[in-house]
Amino acid sequence: MGHDTATLSPRPLDDALRAVARGDRAAFEELYRLTSAQLFGVCLRILPARAEAEDVLQDAYLSIWRRAASFDAARGSAMAWLITLTRNRAIDRLRARGVARETADATGLVETVVDPAPLASDLIETGQAQGRLAECLDQLETGDAGLIRTAFFEGLSYAGLAERIETPLGTVKSRIRRALLKLRACLQ
Amino acid sequence: MSAPLTEEDELAAAELALGLAGEAERQAGQARLHDDAGFADAYARWLGWAAGLFDGLAETPRPSLWRRIEASLPANDAAADMTSRLRRWQVASWVSGAVACVLAAVLVTQALPLAGPGPVAGALQAPMVALLSGADGVVSVSYDPATTRLTVVPDRLRTGGRTPELWVIPADGRPRALGVMPADTPGWMAAPPGAAKAMGAGVTIALSLEPAGGAPGDHPTGPVILSGRMGATA
Repeated sequence: MGHDTATLSPRPLDDALRAVARGDRAAFEELYRLTSAQLFGVCLRILPARAEAEDVLQDAYLSIWRRAASFDAARGSAMAWLITLTRNRAIDRLRARGVARETADATGLVETVVDPAPLASDLIETGQAQGRLAECLDQLETGDAGLIRTAFFEGLSYAGLAERIETPLGTVKSRIRRALLKLRACLQ
Repeated sequence: MSAPLTEEDELAAAELALGLAGEAERQAGQARLHDDAGFADAYARWLGWAAGLFDGLAETPRPSLWRRIEASLPANDAAADMTSRLRRWQVASWVSGAVACVLAAVLVTQALPLAGPGPVAGALQAPMVALLSGADGVVSVSYDPATTRLTVVPDRLRTGGRTPELWVIPADGRPRALGVMPADTPGWMAAPPGAAKAMGAGVTIALSLEPAGGAPGDHPTGPVILSGRMGATA
């Protein structure tokens, strides 16, 4: 009955996920209804071609169906869990295509790319004050924010970033670590 | 809240959450999540913040996508549930078999008219019908004991390209193949003799998805997507 009580619960996604973990298809449909637009946004952000984004979204929901039991409400919000899982599927797809490199070639160096993020004012509530990271990123120097966004949206590690902007790994790492500490100060 | 993390720990959690860590650090971090609650909290916090980067991008996918997802759902949980139910039936079969014997004895000695599910015993001669339902469609199955023929009518049955096969599961819990059926048109088939013997009011009819040509052996190999109970029509 997870999906019936879901709409009444203060944490409907938690309830829906728990029901999905028990194999409740109705709850799964409810979960899809509640989250598919947001998760499709995640897919599109990483893979702008709609057909591919849809494939990944389908993939992501199949993973959600299989892995719902591993969601732990004590370890963050359901939406963050769903977004993380979906983002990881999209990144997997991106890597499988080896497109990260093509994008780099097409867009030039990250250093010169203007931060492509939407304004933080355009937030949709995801349960917590998650949109604050976007706000705090806006307070960083543009280059730093762009690097962090690029890493996150393209699944690049320090090494990948260093290669991308043709900068020594150590330099990139210390630069981003400084930015991360600023972010944390801003976020807390 | 756990003990405050060192700056280095906080950075490690952030790097893990944002995917900045190299492979070795990533593996170490993943391992640490299991036994360091403070680190796991920091990691979850960063994941939550990072998830917020996708705010404001929501876009509704095409409605057909849900159909696709639903159709491709492995019946893992549901099938596991079904399988465990089948097992329970199997376990219960000894019991219900014994009960059936007692009931049969009662019937014979007292000649009571008994309605409702009477497993296997007392083959009814009136036609029977089962409505199989599940998330993947509806199939009505009618069975005429006089001719041992089945008529099947699928409605919006989603098979994901596999072949639907019907099974009868009587009180002993062992499925008997009734045969493959068309996925999108009404059809009929003759129940194999073993399956025909197992037919009766109260038995379970299940539909599994199988490779072309049906299950190679004598039990379902694919997910059971629909099931229903056979009921007497008269």
